[in-house]
Amino acid sequence: MGWETWLIGTISRALAYGTPLLLGTLGEIYAERSGVLNLGVEGMMVMGAFSAFATAYTTSNPWLGLLVAAAVGGAFSLVHAFVSITLRANQIVSGLALTMLGLGLAGVLGRGWEGKPLAAALPSITVAYLAKIPGLGPSLFVEQNALVYLAAGLAILLWFVLYKTRIGISIRAVGDDPATADAMGVNVFRTRYLCVLLGGVLAGLGGGYLSVAYRPAWTEGMTAGMGWIVIALTIFAFWNPLLGLVGAYFFGALYHLSYRLQPWTSPELLKTMPYVFAILVLALVARGTLKRRMSAPAALCEPYIRGEE
Amino acid sequence: MKGIWIRVLLVLLLVSGLGLMPMLTGSAAGAGNLKAGFIYVGPIGDYGWTHAHNKARLIAEETFPWLETVYVESVPEAEVGTYIDRLIQQEKVDVIFTTSFGFMDGTLAAAQRYPDKIFAHCSGFKRAPNMATYMADFYQVYYLNGLMAGALTKSGKVGYVGAFPIPEVKRHINAFTIGVREVNPTAEVHVRWIFEWYNPAAAKEAAEALIKDGCDVFAFTEDSPTVVQVAAQNGLPSFGHYSPMYDFAPDYVVSGQIVHWEKFYLDFLAKVYAGMYTTTNLQDVDYWGLLREGAVEVGAKPGMIINPKFEEILRNIIVEDCICGGGYVDETCTCVEICNKYSVYDLVMLRLAQMKDFEMVFDPFTGPIYDRKGNLVIQPGTRATYDELLTMEWAVQGVVGPWPGEP
Repeated sequence: MGWETWLIGTISRALAYGTPLLLGTLGEIYAERSGVLNLGVEGMMVMGAFSAFATAYTTSNPWLGLLVAAAVGGAFSLVHAFVSITLRANQIVSGLALTMLGLGLAGVLGRGWEGKPLAAALPSITVAYLAKIPGLGPSLFVEQNALVYLAAGLAILLWFVLYKTRIGISIRAVGDDPATADAMGVNVFRTRYLCVLLGGVLAGLGGGYLSVAYRPAWTEGMTAGMGWIVIALTIFAFWNPLLGLVGAYFFGALYHLSYRLQPWTSPELLKTMPYVFAILVLALVARGTLKRRMSAPAALCEPYIRGEE
Repeated sequence: MKGIWIRVLLVLLLVSGLGLMPMLTGSAAGAGNLKAGFIYVGPIGDYGWTHAHNKARLIAEETFPWLETVYVESVPEAEVGTYIDRLIQQEKVDVIFTTSFGFMDGTLAAAQRYPDKIFAHCSGFKRAPNMATYMADFYQVYYLNGLMAGALTKSGKVGYVGAFPIPEVKRHINAFTIGVREVNPTAEVHVRWIFEWYNPAAAKEAAEALIKDGCDVFAFTEDSPTVVQVAAQNGLPSFGHYSPMYDFAPDYVVSGQIVHWEKFYLDFLAKVYAGMYTTTNLQDVDYWGLLREGAVEVGAKPGMIINPKFEEILRNIIVEDCICGGGYVDETCTCVEICNKYSVYDLVMLRLAQMKDFEMVFDPFTGPIYDRKGNLVIQPGTRATYDELLTMEWAVQGVVGPWPGEP
């Protein structure tokens, strides 16, 4: 009985907390795979969170809120795409600017929206049949949000596209060697634009999940650093959507356990646990045998200028 | 591979607290001849601590036509000095308010750097001739909330999500636990720390962890309504913190703590304007606002001490109360106990009246109080002194869970 409730609790919280991270990570993986680092995830997420809340509050339709969040996240990412792809500016600076802009703008627009309970929150669902499976049922299918399953499905779909389809090959080619990809007839600019856009849409959706499902409420700066965890998880996942899924849920589980285990271990130590783990993996990636197979896209952060090599 | 290390470094830097970039915002007030600058630790939209300070700032600005204000939000605690420099040099403010415990040393250093400016630091204990301190403290309110929580718990486990294990929060948890145990001597208060003042996701996961461990009533110190919402989603009662949180869960918010920072800001600024407070006489100026002063209020929202939904339940739970505050202290300073049967509702109202009384005939930190290791920390018949309250590190009996810095 004891260990089973622990397992169920941990898995169900890992899914709930891991979902916004997963959505953001999937998007960032695609953006980076095409060669564009977007440090604006936090900004896009928080804009998504605010717009989803405001929409759901006014229209009483949380799904519409999520749709608007995805659109706003996407629109926001296009700013980064334009600056870093078309204008070929420094991606790090542009991404950071996007984060600051997003946090600031959402904060200003959100004045007056805080302290309002959301009547039309996205309801949690329990899948009646599957919930009866011992162990797995209660942890996976009881009181979870529809977006949890959507995000997990997306991870598999995006993995398939990236590794098993022509589109995926093009994206990876653009991120590794844009000049060659260009010579082979792949439209580098369009590919990069679309990948960054997808990143924005998913980050916005992740933010929307926070404000209309996970909490549900709006307060300024409510993403509280999740966008940065996404950046770390992208590396942690070796730019692979399926590993992104594992990483996001693993991080979610560690996060939950960092509170659950407090009566037995120093809470300060537990608090660092997820981050220590991330650093260990990063250090592993940066050296040794994994390096060649699992390192960052070769042309990451490099603007592409046609005809120069 | 150089790229990846730069990114790792960058991510670490940013994860470690640069997430929110402070921004300076001025008020629209016209020509004032006193300008006050406010430095906040969180965003004014947190609907908690900073939100409450900012509301009080707006009230002060509206009340005094001669006052102009400016504020900076989400300031990292270590960087308060830089922001004070900026407020003084660029914004030419005369009075600076810093509103987080962690701003204490930075504010003191600035007070020494700018001896001709007036400073006031919230929740600390260091003062200077030109630096006062102020605090509206909730411990009495937490005690009242504890009385209700102790009556409402069915599992005997009350959950508390704490921000940082510092004396202020520990004092609140202790007072809350004293209340819980007064009506329910075997109940426990389970504590989880999130090490942040404002992080809704952390508060949510900590509350979820407490629910998984069997807690069924909740109080907290975090600057958003998250814990209230999590409790309500699980059908469990809770107590709001800092701002009125009744609207977030009208069926589940029993009561809570509400602050009135304007009590302090209005008084202090008026005295500065009138020349009563100067850069040389603040060494001993320390505002300490409790129920009696009207600086804090118990309630689910202003005026609603107990949510009517819980009134009947609390009226029907009868407890025998023998704690010394119910009796009186005689001439030889010994506690004369009078045991009485009260409904929890009446007990809350009685204690509230006793603490609001001009003489403050009751205080939760009245001895004998033992810490959870069995040491007598407050002598029988005496009350915790102001210094003892401000430096409280021990945990009372009934507190369960980690307690960093426990003596």
